[in-house]
Amino acid sequence: MLDIIIFLVLLALGYGFGRWAEKKHFASIIEREELLRGLLTFSGRFPPQGLGPLETVLVDGNVVISVDYFKRISAALRSLLGGRVTAYESLLERARREAILRMKQQAFDSGASHVINVKLETASISKGYGKQVGSVEVFAYGTALIPQST
Amino acid sequence: MTEYSNPQIPEGINISAEHPLKDFFLMLSAISFALVLAVLLLSMFAGQLVRFIPFSVEQTLTENLGQWQLQLPETDSPDEESAAATLPDDEQALAQSNTEKQVYNARVEAYLQQLGNHLLENSKRPLPVALHYIDSDIINAFATLGGHIVVTRGLLTILPNENSLAMVLAHEIAHVQHRDPIVALGRGLTVGLALMCITGNGDGAMAQQLLGEVNLLVGLRFSRDAETAADQAALELLLQHYGHVASADQLFQYLRRHQGDAPIEWFSTHPLHDQRIAMIDRFAAKHRLAQMETTPLPAWLQISGHSIN
Amino acid sequence: MLVSNIEIIPGKRIRQHLGMVQGNTVRAKHAGRDIMASVKNIFGGELKGYTELLTEAREEAVGRMVRQAESIGANAVINVRFSTSSVAAGAAELFAYGTAVVLE
Repeated sequence: MLDIIIFLVLLALGYGFGRWAEKKHFASIIEREELLRGLLTFSGRFPPQGLGPLETVLVDGNVVISVDYFKRISAALRSLLGGRVTAYESLLERARREAILRMKQQAFDSGASHVINVKLETASISKGYGKQVGSVEVFAYGTALIPQST
Repeated sequence: MTEYSNPQIPEGINISAEHPLKDFFLMLSAISFALVLAVLLLSMFAGQLVRFIPFSVEQTLTENLGQWQLQLPETDSPDEESAAATLPDDEQALAQSNTEKQVYNARVEAYLQQLGNHLLENSKRPLPVALHYIDSDIINAFATLGGHIVVTRGLLTILPNENSLAMVLAHEIAHVQHRDPIVALGRGLTVGLALMCITGNGDGAMAQQLLGEVNLLVGLRFSRDAETAADQAALELLLQHYGHVASADQLFQYLRRHQGDAPIEWFSTHPLHDQRIAMIDRFAAKHRLAQMETTPLPAWLQISGHSIN
Repeated sequence: MLVSNIEIIPGKRIRQHLGMVQGNTVRAKHAGRDIMASVKNIFGGELKGYTELLTEAREEAVGRMVRQAESIGANAVINVRFSTSSVAAGAAELFAYGTAVVLE
Protein backbone atom coordinates (compact mmCIF):
# COMPACT_ATOMS: atom_id res chain seq x y z
CA MET A 1 0.00 0.00 0.00
CA LEU A 2 2.84 2.36 0.90
CA ASP A 3 4.53 1.43 -2.36
CA ILE A 4 1.50 2.45 -4.32
CA ILE A 5 1.26 5.78 -2.53
CA ILE A 6 4.95 6.51 -3.17
CA PHE A 7 4.47 5.53 -6.79
CA LEU A 8 1.48 7.83 -7.23
CA VAL A 9 3.21 10.72 -5.51
CA LEU A 10 6.27 10.30 -7.73
CA LEU A 11 4.04 10.09 -10.76
CA ALA A 12 2.18 13.26 -9.85
CA LEU A 13 5.40 15.09 -9.00
CA GLY A 14 6.99 13.91 -12.25
CA TYR A 15 4.00 15.03 -14.24
CA GLY A 16 3.63 18.40 -12.55
CA PHE A 17 7.26 19.42 -12.50
CA GLY A 18 8.06 17.78 -15.83
CA ARG A 19 5.27 19.67 -17.55
CA TRP A 20 6.24 22.91 -15.91
CA ALA A 21 9.95 22.52 -16.75
CA GLU A 22 9.18 21.59 -20.33
CA LYS A 23 6.95 24.59 -20.85
CA LYS A 24 9.54 26.90 -19.39
CA HIS A 25 12.31 25.34 -21.43
CA PHE A 26 10.40 25.64 -24.69
CA ALA A 27 9.62 29.27 -23.97
CA SER A 28 13.28 29.93 -23.35
CA ILE A 29 14.32 28.01 -26.48
CA ILE A 30 11.94 29.99 -28.69
CA GLU A 31 13.11 33.27 -27.21
CA ARG A 32 16.81 32.53 -27.69
CA GLU A 33 16.23 31.14 -31.19
CA GLU A 34 14.72 34.46 -32.08
CA LEU A 35 17.77 36.27 -30.71
CA LEU A 36 20.19 34.13 -32.70
CA ARG A 37 18.15 34.05 -35.90
CA GLY A 38 20.67 36.31 -37.60
CA LEU A 39 23.31 33.59 -37.30
CA LEU A 40 22.63 31.21 -40.20
CA THR A 41 23.09 27.48 -39.83
CA PHE A 42 23.26 24.90 -42.60
CA SER A 43 24.07 21.26 -42.84
CA GLY A 44 25.79 21.72 -46.21
CA ARG A 45 29.53 21.38 -46.48
CA PHE A 46 30.25 24.33 -48.76
CA PRO A 47 30.41 27.87 -47.44
CA PRO A 48 28.27 30.47 -49.16
CA GLN A 49 30.14 32.22 -51.96
CA GLY A 50 31.20 35.82 -51.85
CA LEU A 51 31.81 36.10 -48.15
CA GLY A 52 35.35 37.32 -48.54
CA PRO A 53 38.17 36.15 -46.32
CA LEU A 54 36.98 33.77 -43.60
CA GLU A 55 38.33 32.23 -40.47
CA THR A 56 36.86 28.85 -39.57
CA VAL A 57 36.50 27.38 -36.11
CA LEU A 58 34.86 24.24 -34.80
CA VAL A 59 31.96 25.03 -32.53
CA ASP A 60 29.86 22.61 -30.52
CA GLY A 61 27.12 22.47 -27.97
CA ASN A 62 25.72 19.66 -25.91
CA VAL A 63 22.97 19.11 -23.40
CA VAL A 64 21.87 16.26 -21.17
CA ILE A 65 18.22 16.21 -20.25
CA SER A 66 16.76 13.77 -17.79
CA VAL A 67 13.46 12.03 -18.18
CA ASP A 68 10.87 12.71 -15.52
CA TYR A 69 9.16 9.86 -13.71
CA PHE A 70 5.86 10.29 -15.48
CA LYS A 71 7.48 10.09 -18.92
CA ARG A 72 9.45 7.07 -17.91
CA ILE A 73 6.36 5.18 -16.77
CA SER A 74 4.42 6.38 -19.78
CA ALA A 75 7.17 5.15 -22.09
CA ALA A 76 7.35 1.83 -20.26
CA LEU A 77 3.62 1.33 -20.79
CA ARG A 78 4.00 2.33 -24.42
CA SER A 79 6.76 -0.20 -24.94
CA LEU A 80 4.27 -2.91 -23.98
CA LEU A 81 1.70 -1.73 -26.47
CA GLY A 82 4.00 -0.49 -29.20
CA GLY A 83 3.63 2.64 -31.25
CA ARG A 84 4.79 6.19 -31.05
CA VAL A 85 6.42 7.12 -27.77
CA THR A 86 5.06 10.64 -27.55
CA ALA A 87 6.57 11.17 -24.11
CA TYR A 88 10.09 11.06 -25.52
CA GLU A 89 9.45 13.06 -28.67
CA SER A 90 9.15 16.39 -26.93
CA LEU A 91 12.12 15.49 -24.77
CA LEU A 92 14.38 14.88 -27.75
CA GLU A 93 13.08 17.92 -29.57
CA ARG A 94 13.98 20.05 -26.57
CA ALA A 95 17.42 18.49 -26.24
CA ARG A 96 18.23 18.91 -29.90
CA ARG A 97 17.18 22.51 -30.15
CA GLU A 98 19.00 23.34 -26.94
CA ALA A 99 22.20 21.72 -28.23
CA ILE A 100 22.00 23.66 -31.50
CA LEU A 101 21.34 26.84 -29.56
CA ARG A 102 24.41 26.34 -27.41
CA MET A 103 26.48 25.70 -30.51
CA LYS A 104 25.13 28.86 -32.09
CA GLN A 105 25.78 30.82 -28.93
CA GLN A 106 29.39 29.71 -29.01
CA ALA A 107 29.66 30.72 -32.66
CA PHE A 108 27.97 34.03 -31.93
CA ASP A 109 30.42 34.75 -29.11
CA SER A 110 33.35 34.25 -31.46
CA GLY A 111 31.77 36.65 -33.94
CA ALA A 112 30.69 34.16 -36.60
CA SER A 113 28.08 34.91 -39.25
CA HIS A 114 27.36 31.34 -40.38
CA VAL A 115 27.65 27.81 -39.07
CA ILE A 116 27.96 25.17 -41.77
CA ASN A 117 28.19 21.38 -41.90
CA VAL A 118 26.15 21.02 -38.72
CA LYS A 119 25.88 17.46 -37.44
CA LEU A 120 23.97 16.00 -34.55
CA GLU A 121 24.58 13.03 -32.29
CA THR A 122 22.14 11.52 -29.83
CA ALA A 123 23.15 9.19 -27.05
CA SER A 124 21.32 7.81 -24.08
CA ILE A 125 23.54 7.88 -21.05
CA SER A 126 23.18 6.61 -17.49
CA LYS A 127 21.08 3.65 -18.40
CA GLY A 128 20.21 2.89 -14.87
CA TYR A 129 17.94 0.53 -13.08
CA GLY A 130 16.10 -1.92 -15.26
CA LYS A 131 17.68 -0.52 -18.42
CA GLN A 132 15.34 2.43 -18.26
CA VAL A 133 16.69 5.53 -19.85
CA GLY A 134 17.81 8.04 -17.27
CA SER A 135 18.73 10.85 -19.59
CA VAL A 136 19.54 11.67 -23.18
CA GLU A 137 22.49 13.61 -24.48
CA VAL A 138 22.38 15.53 -27.71
CA PHE A 139 25.59 16.87 -29.17
CA ALA A 140 25.63 19.37 -32.02
CA TYR A 141 28.75 20.45 -33.84
CA GLY A 142 29.60 22.45 -36.92
CA THR A 143 32.03 24.86 -38.47
CA ALA A 144 31.63 28.53 -37.68
CA LEU A 145 32.57 31.02 -40.39
CA ILE A 146 34.01 34.23 -38.99
CA PRO A 147 34.36 37.04 -41.55
CA GLN A 148 37.76 38.71 -41.46
CA SER A 149 38.00 42.43 -42.01
CA THR A 150 41.06 43.05 -44.13
CA MET B 1 23.36 34.42 -56.82
CA THR B 2 22.26 32.02 -54.14
CA GLU B 3 20.50 33.48 -51.18
CA TYR B 4 21.05 32.29 -47.66
CA SER B 5 18.49 32.64 -44.87
CA ASN B 6 17.04 30.85 -41.83
CA PRO B 7 13.26 31.31 -41.82
CA GLN B 8 11.39 30.38 -38.68
CA ILE B 9 10.01 26.85 -38.68
CA PRO B 10 6.54 26.51 -37.13
CA GLU B 11 6.31 24.69 -33.80
CA GLY B 12 4.86 21.28 -33.20
CA ILE B 13 5.88 19.34 -36.29
CA ASN B 14 8.13 16.98 -34.37
CA ILE B 15 5.84 16.66 -31.36
CA SER B 16 2.57 14.80 -31.21
CA ALA B 17 -0.26 17.01 -30.08
CA GLU B 18 -1.88 14.38 -27.87
CA HIS B 19 -2.26 15.29 -24.21
CA PRO B 20 0.14 13.17 -22.15
CA LEU B 21 -2.40 12.37 -19.44
CA LYS B 22 -5.00 11.16 -21.90
CA ASP B 23 -2.40 9.03 -23.61
CA PHE B 24 -1.28 7.68 -20.26
CA PHE B 25 -4.73 6.65 -19.07
CA LEU B 26 -5.62 5.09 -22.39
CA MET B 27 -2.51 2.95 -22.22
CA LEU B 28 -3.07 2.13 -18.57
CA SER B 29 -6.63 0.97 -19.12
CA ALA B 30 -5.68 -1.08 -22.17
CA ILE B 31 -2.90 -2.84 -20.31
CA SER B 32 -4.97 -3.41 -17.17
CA PHE B 33 -7.76 -4.87 -19.25
CA ALA B 34 -5.38 -7.24 -20.99
CA LEU B 35 -3.82 -8.31 -17.70
CA VAL B 36 -7.15 -8.93 -16.00
CA LEU B 37 -8.28 -10.97 -18.97
CA ALA B 38 -5.07 -12.98 -18.99
CA VAL B 39 -5.23 -13.70 -15.26
CA LEU B 40 -8.88 -14.68 -15.54
CA LEU B 41 -8.20 -17.08 -18.39
CA LEU B 42 -5.20 -18.49 -16.57
CA SER B 43 -7.17 -19.09 -13.38
CA MET B 44 -9.97 -20.80 -15.29
CA PHE B 45 -7.43 -22.97 -17.03
CA ALA B 46 -5.80 -23.82 -13.71
CA GLY B 47 -9.21 -24.59 -12.23
CA GLN B 48 -9.77 -27.14 -14.98
CA LEU B 49 -6.32 -28.64 -14.60
CA VAL B 50 -6.38 -29.18 -10.84
CA ARG B 51 -9.40 -31.43 -11.24
CA PHE B 52 -6.96 -34.02 -12.53
CA ILE B 53 -5.22 -34.17 -9.16
CA PRO B 54 -6.44 -37.40 -7.55
CA PHE B 55 -8.45 -37.00 -4.38
CA SER B 56 -5.99 -39.24 -2.54
CA VAL B 57 -3.27 -36.63 -3.07
CA GLU B 58 -5.55 -34.05 -1.53
CA GLN B 59 -6.04 -36.34 1.45
CA THR B 60 -2.33 -36.92 1.93
CA LEU B 61 -1.75 -33.18 1.77
CA THR B 62 -4.14 -32.56 4.60
CA GLU B 63 -3.37 -35.71 6.55
CA ASN B 64 -1.69 -33.86 9.37
CA LEU B 65 -4.24 -31.14 9.45
CA GLY B 66 -4.43 -30.09 13.07
CA GLN B 67 -7.32 -28.50 14.82
CA TRP B 68 -5.41 -25.20 15.00
CA GLN B 69 -5.15 -25.04 11.26
CA LEU B 70 -8.88 -25.12 10.90
CA GLN B 71 -9.42 -22.56 13.63
CA LEU B 72 -11.34 -19.55 12.46
CA PRO B 73 -9.92 -16.11 12.90
CA GLU B 74 -11.55 -14.98 16.14
CA THR B 75 -13.68 -11.90 15.92
CA ASP B 76 -14.87 -9.82 18.82
CA SER B 77 -17.18 -12.00 20.79
CA PRO B 78 -20.55 -10.31 21.16
CA ASP B 79 -21.21 -11.75 24.59
CA GLU B 80 -17.83 -11.25 26.14
CA GLU B 81 -19.28 -10.36 29.50
CA SER B 82 -21.17 -13.59 29.96
CA ALA B 83 -18.12 -15.53 28.81
CA ALA B 84 -16.02 -13.77 31.41
CA ALA B 85 -18.61 -14.43 34.08
CA THR B 86 -18.64 -18.16 33.48
CA LEU B 87 -14.85 -18.46 33.64
CA PRO B 88 -14.01 -20.63 36.64
CA ASP B 89 -11.53 -19.11 39.07
CA ASP B 90 -10.00 -22.34 40.13
CA GLU B 91 -7.29 -23.84 37.91
CA GLN B 92 -8.48 -27.33 38.62
CA ALA B 93 -12.02 -26.46 37.78
CA LEU B 94 -10.75 -24.99 34.53
CA ALA B 95 -8.91 -28.19 33.68
CA GLN B 96 -11.98 -30.17 34.68
CA SER B 97 -14.25 -28.14 32.45
CA ASN B 98 -11.70 -28.33 29.63
CA THR B 99 -11.75 -32.11 29.74
CA GLU B 100 -15.51 -32.12 29.82
CA LYS B 101 -15.53 -29.80 26.88
CA GLN B 102 -13.20 -32.06 24.93
CA VAL B 103 -15.39 -35.05 25.56
CA TYR B 104 -18.43 -33.09 24.52
CA ASN B 105 -16.76 -31.74 21.40
CA ALA B 106 -15.66 -35.22 20.40
CA ARG B 107 -19.24 -36.39 20.83
CA VAL B 108 -20.57 -33.62 18.61
CA GLU B 109 -17.93 -34.41 16.03
CA ALA B 110 -18.86 -38.08 16.02
CA TYR B 111 -22.52 -37.15 15.62
CA LEU B 112 -21.73 -34.84 12.68
CA GLN B 113 -19.55 -37.52 11.10
CA GLN B 114 -22.33 -40.06 11.41
CA LEU B 115 -24.88 -37.73 9.85
CA GLY B 116 -22.42 -36.92 7.05
CA ASN B 117 -21.80 -40.59 6.35
CA HIS B 118 -25.53 -41.26 6.20
CA LEU B 119 -25.94 -38.53 3.65
CA LEU B 120 -23.00 -39.88 1.65
CA GLU B 121 -24.50 -43.36 1.48
CA ASN B 122 -26.82 -42.19 -1.25
CA SER B 123 -24.06 -40.71 -3.36
CA LYS B 124 -23.00 -42.72 -6.37
CA ARG B 125 -19.23 -42.47 -6.18
CA PRO B 126 -18.60 -40.82 -2.85
CA LEU B 127 -15.36 -39.15 -1.85
CA PRO B 128 -14.94 -39.61 1.90
CA VAL B 129 -15.44 -36.62 4.17
CA ALA B 130 -14.09 -35.86 7.63
CA LEU B 131 -16.20 -33.63 9.84
CA HIS B 132 -14.85 -31.26 12.45
CA TYR B 133 -16.55 -29.25 15.14
CA ILE B 134 -15.23 -25.93 16.35
CA ASP B 135 -16.31 -24.35 19.59
CA SER B 136 -16.83 -20.87 18.26
CA ASP B 137 -19.67 -18.38 18.31
CA ILE B 138 -19.15 -17.54 14.66
CA ILE B 139 -21.89 -18.95 12.48
CA ASN B 140 -20.01 -20.82 9.83
CA ALA B 141 -19.52 -24.06 7.98
CA PHE B 142 -17.00 -24.71 5.27
CA ALA B 143 -15.38 -27.44 3.23
CA THR B 144 -11.69 -27.52 2.50
CA LEU B 145 -9.04 -29.75 0.93
CA GLY B 146 -9.05 -33.48 1.55
CA GLY B 147 -12.76 -33.65 2.31
CA HIS B 148 -12.47 -31.84 5.62
CA ILE B 149 -15.67 -30.09 6.63
CA VAL B 150 -15.89 -27.75 9.58
CA VAL B 151 -19.03 -26.78 11.47
CA THR B 152 -19.09 -24.24 14.28
CA ARG B 153 -21.11 -24.21 17.48
CA GLY B 154 -22.60 -20.92 16.39
CA LEU B 155 -24.19 -22.60 13.42
CA LEU B 156 -25.68 -25.43 15.47
CA THR B 157 -27.36 -22.96 17.82
CA ILE B 158 -29.43 -21.40 15.07
CA LEU B 159 -30.64 -24.61 13.42
CA PRO B 160 -34.06 -25.87 14.63
CA ASN B 161 -33.75 -29.52 13.59
CA GLU B 162 -31.56 -32.19 12.08
CA ASN B 163 -32.95 -31.69 8.60
CA SER B 164 -31.66 -28.17 8.40
CA LEU B 165 -28.24 -29.28 9.70
CA ALA B 166 -28.25 -32.07 7.13
CA MET B 167 -28.88 -29.49 4.42
CA VAL B 168 -25.77 -27.54 5.45
CA LEU B 169 -23.69 -30.70 5.68
CA ALA B 170 -25.00 -31.94 2.35
CA HIS B 171 -24.11 -28.62 0.80
CA GLU B 172 -20.52 -28.86 2.03
CA ILE B 173 -20.36 -32.54 1.13
CA ALA B 174 -21.46 -31.60 -2.37
CA HIS B 175 -18.57 -29.14 -2.54
CA VAL B 176 -16.20 -31.96 -1.70
CA GLN B 177 -17.82 -34.25 -4.27
CA HIS B 178 -17.49 -31.55 -6.91
CA ARG B 179 -13.81 -30.98 -5.97
CA ASP B 180 -14.60 -27.32 -5.39
CA PRO B 181 -12.00 -26.75 -2.64
CA ILE B 182 -9.03 -27.76 -4.75
CA VAL B 183 -10.36 -25.86 -7.74
CA ALA B 184 -10.72 -22.75 -5.59
CA LEU B 185 -7.24 -23.27 -4.16
CA GLY B 186 -5.75 -23.80 -7.62
CA ARG B 187 -7.39 -20.68 -8.93
CA GLY B 188 -6.43 -18.65 -5.90
CA LEU B 189 -2.82 -19.74 -6.13
CA THR B 190 -2.68 -19.06 -9.85
CA VAL B 191 -4.07 -15.59 -9.43
CA GLY B 192 -1.70 -14.95 -6.54
CA LEU B 193 1.32 -16.12 -8.51
CA ALA B 194 0.26 -14.16 -11.58
CA LEU B 195 -0.13 -11.01 -9.51
CA MET B 196 3.29 -11.60 -8.03
CA CYS B 197 4.78 -11.91 -11.50
CA ILE B 198 3.07 -8.74 -12.62
CA THR B 199 3.99 -6.61 -9.65
CA GLY B 200 7.45 -8.11 -9.78
CA ASN B 201 8.01 -8.19 -6.03
CA GLY B 202 7.65 -11.92 -5.70
CA ASP B 203 10.32 -14.50 -5.13
CA GLY B 204 10.50 -18.09 -3.97
CA ALA B 205 10.07 -17.17 -0.34
CA MET B 206 6.86 -15.35 -1.09
CA ALA B 207 5.48 -18.30 -3.01
CA GLN B 208 6.26 -20.50 -0.03
CA GLN B 209 4.44 -18.13 2.22
CA LEU B 210 1.49 -18.10 -0.14
CA LEU B 211 1.31 -21.88 -0.20
CA GLY B 212 1.69 -22.22 3.52
CA GLU B 213 -0.91 -19.61 4.28
CA VAL B 214 -3.27 -21.02 6.87
CA ASN B 215 -6.04 -18.76 5.69
CA LEU B 216 -6.04 -20.56 2.38
CA LEU B 217 -7.59 -23.60 3.96
CA VAL B 218 -10.21 -21.67 5.86
CA GLY B 219 -11.01 -18.87 3.47
CA LEU B 220 -11.55 -20.71 0.21
CA ARG B 221 -14.10 -18.98 -1.94
CA PHE B 222 -16.13 -20.91 -4.43
CA SER B 223 -17.68 -19.45 -7.51
CA ARG B 224 -21.38 -18.71 -7.52
CA ASP B 225 -21.99 -21.46 -10.06
CA ALA B 226 -20.27 -23.93 -7.76
CA GLU B 227 -22.51 -22.79 -4.89
CA THR B 228 -25.66 -23.24 -6.92
CA ALA B 229 -24.53 -26.66 -8.09
CA ALA B 230 -23.74 -27.60 -4.50
CA ASP B 231 -27.22 -26.49 -3.39
CA GLN B 232 -28.79 -28.60 -6.10
CA ALA B 233 -26.75 -31.66 -5.20
CA ALA B 234 -27.42 -31.12 -1.50
CA LEU B 235 -31.17 -31.17 -2.10
CA GLU B 236 -30.82 -34.45 -3.96
CA LEU B 237 -28.87 -35.97 -1.07
CA LEU B 238 -31.43 -34.68 1.40
CA LEU B 239 -34.32 -36.05 -0.60
CA GLN B 240 -32.72 -39.46 -0.77
CA HIS B 241 -31.94 -39.51 2.92
CA TYR B 242 -35.21 -38.19 4.40
CA GLY B 243 -37.60 -38.68 1.49
CA HIS B 244 -38.44 -34.97 1.55
CA VAL B 245 -36.69 -31.65 1.79
CA ALA B 246 -38.67 -29.93 4.51
CA SER B 247 -36.69 -27.46 6.64
CA ALA B 248 -33.93 -27.32 4.05
CA ASP B 249 -34.31 -23.59 3.79
CA GLN B 250 -34.18 -22.92 7.54
CA LEU B 251 -30.64 -21.63 7.54
CA PHE B 252 -31.27 -19.26 4.67
CA GLN B 253 -34.45 -18.02 6.29
CA TYR B 254 -32.44 -17.28 9.40
CA LEU B 255 -29.68 -15.58 7.45
CA ARG B 256 -32.20 -13.45 5.62
CA ARG B 257 -33.75 -12.35 8.89
CA HIS B 258 -30.39 -11.50 10.38
CA GLN B 259 -28.69 -9.90 7.44
CA GLY B 260 -26.05 -7.50 8.66
CA ASP B 261 -26.11 -8.91 12.17
CA ALA B 262 -22.87 -9.58 13.96
CA PRO B 263 -20.93 -12.64 13.95
CA ILE B 264 -22.04 -14.10 10.60
CA GLU B 265 -19.03 -14.19 8.37
CA TRP B 266 -20.25 -16.75 6.00
CA PHE B 267 -22.12 -16.64 2.71
CA SER B 268 -20.75 -13.36 1.46
CA THR B 269 -20.03 -14.87 -1.95
CA HIS B 270 -23.02 -17.12 -1.86
CA PRO B 271 -26.07 -16.55 -4.02
CA LEU B 272 -28.68 -14.25 -2.52
CA HIS B 273 -30.66 -15.87 0.23
CA ASP B 274 -33.94 -15.13 -1.54
CA GLN B 275 -32.78 -16.90 -4.66
CA ARG B 276 -31.65 -19.92 -2.70
CA ILE B 277 -34.90 -20.11 -0.78
CA ALA B 278 -36.84 -19.82 -4.02
CA MET B 279 -34.78 -22.61 -5.51
CA ILE B 280 -35.37 -24.85 -2.51
CA ASP B 281 -39.10 -24.07 -2.68
CA ARG B 282 -39.24 -25.02 -6.33
CA PHE B 283 -37.46 -28.27 -5.57
CA ALA B 284 -39.70 -28.95 -2.59
CA ALA B 285 -42.84 -28.33 -4.65
CA LYS B 286 -41.83 -31.11 -7.02
CA HIS B 287 -41.31 -33.57 -4.19
CA ARG B 288 -44.17 -32.75 -1.87
CA LEU B 289 -45.32 -35.54 0.40
CA ALA B 290 -48.29 -35.81 2.73
CA GLN B 291 -46.05 -36.79 5.59
CA MET B 292 -43.07 -34.51 6.06
CA GLU B 293 -41.77 -35.08 9.53
CA THR B 294 -38.59 -33.39 10.58
CA THR B 295 -36.09 -35.08 12.83
CA PRO B 296 -35.11 -33.14 15.92
CA LEU B 297 -31.52 -32.59 16.87
CA PRO B 298 -30.31 -34.92 19.64
CA ALA B 299 -31.37 -33.71 23.05
CA TRP B 300 -27.85 -33.81 24.54
CA LEU B 301 -26.66 -31.11 22.17
CA GLN B 302 -26.09 -28.13 24.47
CA ILE B 303 -27.29 -25.36 22.29
CA SER B 304 -29.95 -23.58 24.27
CA GLY B 305 -27.52 -21.40 26.24
CA HIS B 306 -26.00 -19.86 23.15
CA SER B 307 -29.12 -19.21 21.21
CA ILE B 308 -29.05 -15.84 19.50
CA ASN B 309 -32.37 -16.20 17.79
CA MET C 1 9.63 17.57 -52.69
CA LEU C 2 13.07 16.34 -53.55
CA VAL C 3 14.95 14.61 -50.77
CA SER C 4 18.56 13.74 -51.38
CA ASN C 5 21.75 13.13 -49.48
CA ILE C 6 23.99 14.80 -52.01
CA GLU C 7 24.72 18.48 -51.84
CA ILE C 8 24.62 19.45 -55.48
CA ILE C 9 21.70 18.30 -57.57
CA PRO C 10 22.96 17.78 -61.13
CA GLY C 11 21.44 20.20 -63.60
CA LYS C 12 19.73 22.26 -60.93
CA ARG C 13 20.85 25.47 -59.39
CA ILE C 14 20.12 26.29 -55.77
CA ARG C 15 18.43 29.63 -55.56
CA GLN C 16 17.98 29.81 -51.80
CA HIS C 17 19.39 28.05 -48.74
CA LEU C 18 16.84 28.00 -45.95
CA GLY C 19 18.78 26.31 -43.17
CA MET C 20 18.39 23.07 -41.28
CA VAL C 21 15.17 21.11 -41.05
CA GLN C 22 14.69 18.09 -38.80
CA GLY C 23 12.27 15.30 -38.27
CA ASN C 24 12.25 12.83 -35.42
CA THR C 25 10.10 10.13 -33.94
CA VAL C 26 10.44 7.63 -31.13
CA ARG C 27 8.81 4.29 -31.68
CA ALA C 28 8.38 1.20 -29.55
CA LYS C 29 7.46 -2.28 -30.60
CA HIS C 30 4.76 -4.00 -28.59
CA ALA C 31 5.61 -6.77 -26.16
CA GLY C 32 4.34 -9.48 -28.51
CA ARG C 33 6.86 -8.51 -31.15
CA ASP C 34 9.59 -8.43 -28.52
CA ILE C 35 8.76 -11.99 -27.55
CA MET C 36 8.64 -13.14 -31.16
CA ALA C 37 11.98 -11.47 -31.77
CA SER C 38 13.60 -13.21 -28.82
CA VAL C 39 12.38 -16.53 -30.19
CA LYS C 40 13.71 -15.63 -33.60
CA ASN C 41 17.04 -14.76 -32.01
CA ILE C 42 17.58 -18.44 -31.36
CA PHE C 43 17.37 -19.33 -35.02
CA GLY C 44 18.73 -16.12 -36.51
CA GLY C 45 17.35 -14.50 -39.62
CA GLU C 46 15.55 -11.29 -40.33
CA LEU C 47 13.31 -9.82 -37.66
CA LYS C 48 10.50 -8.76 -39.97
CA GLY C 49 8.57 -7.04 -37.22
CA TYR C 50 11.49 -4.81 -36.32
CA THR C 51 12.40 -4.08 -39.92
CA GLU C 52 8.86 -2.96 -40.52
CA LEU C 53 8.84 -0.86 -37.37
CA LEU C 54 12.06 0.94 -38.22
CA THR C 55 10.97 1.49 -41.81
CA GLU C 56 7.74 3.05 -40.64
CA ALA C 57 9.54 5.18 -38.11
CA ARG C 58 12.09 6.38 -40.64
CA GLU C 59 9.34 7.27 -43.08
CA GLU C 60 7.66 9.28 -40.38
CA ALA C 61 10.86 11.10 -39.48
CA VAL C 62 11.44 12.00 -43.13
CA GLY C 63 7.81 13.02 -43.41
CA ARG C 64 8.16 15.41 -40.51
CA MET C 65 11.37 16.84 -41.90
CA VAL C 66 9.64 17.39 -45.25
CA ARG C 67 6.74 19.12 -43.50
CA GLN C 68 9.17 21.50 -41.85
CA ALA C 69 10.79 22.22 -45.20
CA GLU C 70 7.43 22.81 -46.87
CA SER C 71 6.33 25.14 -44.12
CA ILE C 72 9.24 27.48 -44.83
CA GLY C 73 8.72 27.39 -48.57
CA ALA C 74 11.46 24.99 -49.68
CA ASN C 75 11.06 22.59 -52.57
CA ALA C 76 13.93 20.24 -51.76
CA VAL C 77 15.94 18.91 -48.84
CA ILE C 78 19.52 18.12 -49.64
CA ASN C 79 22.39 16.63 -47.71
CA VAL C 80 19.98 14.50 -45.65
CA ARG C 81 21.43 12.42 -42.85
CA PHE C 82 19.82 9.79 -40.70
CA SER C 83 20.63 8.87 -37.17
CA THR C 84 19.15 6.05 -35.12
CA SER C 85 19.60 5.69 -31.41
CA SER C 86 17.91 3.63 -28.77
CA VAL C 87 16.79 6.02 -26.10
CA ALA C 88 15.11 3.39 -23.94
CA ALA C 89 14.84 -0.36 -23.76
CA GLY C 90 12.60 -1.45 -26.59
CA ALA C 91 12.26 2.00 -28.11
CA ALA C 92 14.21 3.43 -31.01
CA GLU C 93 14.59 7.03 -32.01
CA LEU C 94 14.75 7.84 -35.70
CA PHE C 95 16.09 11.21 -36.64
CA ALA C 96 16.51 12.79 -40.07
CA TYR C 97 17.94 16.20 -40.83
CA GLY C 98 19.09 18.13 -43.84
CA THR C 99 19.22 21.52 -45.50
CA ALA C 100 16.03 22.96 -46.93
CA VAL C 101 16.63 24.68 -50.28
CA VAL C 102 14.73 26.24 -53.12
CA LEU C 103 15.77 24.76 -56.46
CA GLU C 104 15.28 26.50 -59.76
